[in-house]
Amino acid sequence: MPQLPSTTDLVIRNDIAQLAILSEAMERFGSKHALAPKLLVQLQVALDEIVSNVIKYAWPEGGSHEIRVRITFDSGKMTIEIADDGRSFDPRRAPPPEHLPAGQRPRPGGVGLHMVKQFMDSFEYARIDGWNHSTLTKAIDIRTK
Amino acid sequence: MAKSSLQMAEVRAGQNCVLALTGRIDSTNADELTARVNRLFAAGEKYLVVDFKEVLYLTSAAFRVLLVATDEAERSAARFALSSVFGQVRELFEMGGLLDAFTIHASREEALAQTG
Repeated sequence: MPQLPSTTDLVIRNDIAQLAILSEAMERFGSKHALAPKLLVQLQVALDEIVSNVIKYAWPEGGSHEIRVRITFDSGKMTIEIADDGRSFDPRRAPPPEHLPAGQRPRPGGVGLHMVKQFMDSFEYARIDGWNHSTLTKAIDIRTK
Repeated sequence: MAKSSLQMAEVRAGQNCVLALTGRIDSTNADELTARVNRLFAAGEKYLVVDFKEVLYLTSAAFRVLLVATDEAERSAARFALSSVFGQVRELFEMGGLLDAFTIHASREEALAQTG
């Protein structure tokens, strides 16, 4: 049976504590569509990495801002869209600088985005009307129940 | 909503200390974990093992904490290792390319058997 498209829209503030709202929403979305636990973790990590970058770097001037997240599942494809009106920034290209002590051996900079690229099939970015839009997609095997 | 999805328990094993983690490590609690590890090294711990047996999920925020802890251990002339990194969590280390960045033991017991 083909499933109808299913969409969840979420709006959070640029407060790191609000990441939990996204994890919980993804969890509910995952159980609704019977996603394998491993896949669910990958999607949660991808969403977490992108949004935590936005929270940390999009608004250097501070203040309270909105981050909009839309999760869509349609025809075996999961799409996660993340939008913010912070400074223009393509997360695929420039890993934000890491503020770490000098002389460190392995550098964590860019690890999160590297993981996002590995977990997802596509990772697109566009700047539209003053908003950054990151769009992640992944094909999902629909498990027969 | 629970304030933190990460629990931390210190278990003394003679001269050594095991920090057993339970739950999720992400940006919401990475600072708490860093503070705890720094406090242990500042208190003079010479061998700290972070046990991942009950960790279900982590993001790159966890790797940042562990890399900083590795440096902190060096500055404090202490040793730092991880134990019980399995399954999904191990895969996340692999995906992050960080499986080789740390000393990882199969179990807490094996980690503690490694003397100086």
